[in-house]
Amino acid sequence: MTTSNLWDRLEPLLASVERPARYIDHEFGAQHKAADYRVALIYPDTYEIGQANQAIAILYDCLNAIDGVAAERCYLPWLDLADKMREHEIPLFTLESTSPVAECELVGITLPYELTYSNIVEALDLAGIAPRAADRGEGAPLVIGGGPCAFNPEPVADFFDAILIGEGEEAAGEMVAVHRACIAEGASRAETLRRLAQVGGVYVPSLYTPVRAEDGSLVAIEAAEGAPARVEKRIVADLDSVATPACPVVPFMDVIHDRQNVEILRGCTRGCRFCQAGMVYRPVRERSADTIVKATLAGLACTGYDEVSLTSLSSADHSQIEDVLRRLMRRLTGTGVSVSLPSLRVDAFSVDLARLISSGKKSGLTFAPEAGTQRLRDVINKNVVEEDLINTVRAAFEAGWRRVKLYFMIGLPTETDEDIQGIGQLVYKVLTTAREATPPSQRGGLKIGVSVSTFVPKAETPFQWEPMLTLEEVRRRQGVLRESMPHKGVDLSWHESEVSILEGVMARGGREISAVIEAAWRRGARFDAWTEQYRLNRWVEALEECGVDPVAIANRTRDVDEVLPWEHLTSGVSARYLVRERERAYSATTTPDCSFGGCTGCDVCGDLGVDVLIAGGERR
Amino acid sequence: MTPGEFRLRVTWVKAGRLRWLSHLEVLHALERVIRRSKLEYAVTHGFSPHMKIAFGPALPVGTAGQTEYADVWLTRYTGADEALEALRKAAPADLEPIGAQYVGDRVPSLTAALTIALYRVELVGGELGEDHVRRVVLELMRRGELHIEQKGKTKAFDLAVCIPKDPSVSVEEGSVVVELPVRMGPHGSLRPEVFIRAALAASGAEVSAIRTTRTDLLIESEDGSWQRPV
Repeated sequence: MTTSNLWDRLEPLLASVERPARYIDHEFGAQHKAADYRVALIYPDTYEIGQANQAIAILYDCLNAIDGVAAERCYLPWLDLADKMREHEIPLFTLESTSPVAECELVGITLPYELTYSNIVEALDLAGIAPRAADRGEGAPLVIGGGPCAFNPEPVADFFDAILIGEGEEAAGEMVAVHRACIAEGASRAETLRRLAQVGGVYVPSLYTPVRAEDGSLVAIEAAEGAPARVEKRIVADLDSVATPACPVVPFMDVIHDRQNVEILRGCTRGCRFCQAGMVYRPVRERSADTIVKATLAGLACTGYDEVSLTSLSSADHSQIEDVLRRLMRRLTGTGVSVSLPSLRVDAFSVDLARLISSGKKSGLTFAPEAGTQRLRDVINKNVVEEDLINTVRAAFEAGWRRVKLYFMIGLPTETDEDIQGIGQLVYKVLTTAREATPPSQRGGLKIGVSVSTFVPKAETPFQWEPMLTLEEVRRRQGVLRESMPHKGVDLSWHESEVSILEGVMARGGREISAVIEAAWRRGARFDAWTEQYRLNRWVEALEECGVDPVAIANRTRDVDEVLPWEHLTSGVSARYLVRERERAYSATTTPDCSFGGCTGCDVCGDLGVDVLIAGGERR
Repeated sequence: MTPGEFRLRVTWVKAGRLRWLSHLEVLHALERVIRRSKLEYAVTHGFSPHMKIAFGPALPVGTAGQTEYADVWLTRYTGADEALEALRKAAPADLEPIGAQYVGDRVPSLTAALTIALYRVELVGGELGEDHVRRVVLELMRRGELHIEQKGKTKAFDLAVCIPKDPSVSVEEGSVVVELPVRMGPHGSLRPEVFIRAALAASGAEVSAIRTTRTDLLIESEDGSWQRPV
């Protein structure tokens, strides 16, 4: 396919837009490859939000490694440039060749969080690709989605030709191979989609039909002949068998997570019942210490970064974490390069780890007790007791830290006002402990950051049947929290409740939501994750226009026997386990972590033919 | 000389698309070039240790540079040519190191020493004639003073101080090109495209796109002569 270079038309627009570095490519590590089969990897938000995304970096490497295939990156232009592009009839372009996205054979769009959904329509429209898969002609690129939100992709299902459920390292190449074979044979679009549906983990929405009863309730999701009745997620059994991006693109502009990222393990089986990531990325698979150290040092040498982050859902849980950190610090001390751990457990071991990598600079530690009372922490299976938190905070302040940030949620199932007041009381105890552990002369600047988000029930979790609070109730409970919170020495921040409400509808909505997203986009919705761009009224009007009742989706207790919109997809965790966990939640009974002890019966290993992989043999 | 440290003065260019980088983006990019080059650089001993490096005057977003400078302190002596080669290999295209030379520790800092910048300003589009541009530019020079509105305040520039030699105007590949020196200092430095737009505006003319390149950075000696810092 021919490619047209849009640079000469784009460059004159750069003088009058914010941060032109978003659009110029040429970063160190960018891969410029001429190939007949081209893939655009789109992150549906701005460059600085999406550049560090690990999924894109991994797929970029995997696909560019294939002969005859070139992968290029694309981020959504900010409002200023998007408007100018429409004015000058410049379509959405990939960075590496500055050529139209619509000229690619395959367009991959990652689904990082629900609030980017309006940006998917924006990206496709800007690219000149019909937003709805059903409206695309034979010559249009295949539009394929994937990422964290793929576990209930129904709200965006109409926009995609196919969606990959689960991990992409192996599946991406397989999908491209099927598509190239179809192109070579001159297969029709419909035939191509039928064949793609045979690749493990690939969900082709047009092959599944939701069947509704007269009252509108979902009674079944019927698979077309030849399509699997249930799409199981793809998974990589051994992370050491796939490489972490060795020399990723190094951005020029300041982006979030602007550092070398090394994924040290995948999956988390702590079993927090609200946590979708903890359910859908199972089982735990650790990379070995040798692989991690080697990948880190090679990556730093290649990129020139001065910081490396050892990423995962729970990095302190890695069985060889202490060994990894000691080896890295031996090599990196005196080079000005720092190591960070993004997720700490609430225990003294975590403070020891933090001390190991702090090298004098103690910026701040973050812990997530999530709930204010022991009862509620047991309900959500957050295996943290108050004593742990207090001891951890004492250890941190005695070791010299002066800032701690705590994450909490309101609106969890069974929550009462007492639980909310418990957050205030817990923060007060933390504050008192921090003061006691700090020399009197340094107590002035002491701050506890408290960040409170609203619980949004997610698909494939034990709380997938739970109602979300209404906007009015969220506001009332926020008021209860504000009253119970100590004022001095606490920085309290909220997650915007109007945003959480939309997230709630998107997280568990069905196919009917695609029309709502389009309607909201037509009313100007884009960049909804940017609070200053978000307008709830656009969405309220869009829901009304489409006759969709948000309360029935988000604020209703669902029956465990009802057909859920994502019934035909599975992360491998069984419904039986989710129901059992929900019952244990109601009786405030905790469930242990299987990566530390015996199997707790989530069925993922058996269903997917994989196993928990602990690099050091056992965890402590 | 700080014992055990070697001050390497690197000359580099900011060209092509990378003209759209901001000063801060260029700083970070060059620090990363140095780390990738595996040259052993000195680290400051403060609370937050970082690479010991110093840059010349900032280049704005959209302005290219043909002869820009940075001083980096190395802890291990590497021949200047070898160091340049290592840096070149580690650099992205269009942000390329083109020279490297060791300088003494008592040599004044780049920001203090470099007070003259030479600019080449291309008026893209070509609707304006060379003679017209020459006339309005020289007329503004003769007026001697330029008032610029900045964030609600008016700032006066004494053109005899700010533009120490008359600009020259020529035509290259169909575009009018203005070359002029600008003196930088505590009086503030006048951006060349601002000067040219002002000159054109006085005659009622406008230009849609301006492409600015800083071609050289120079030291003004006591005798008034201009010299390169290496």
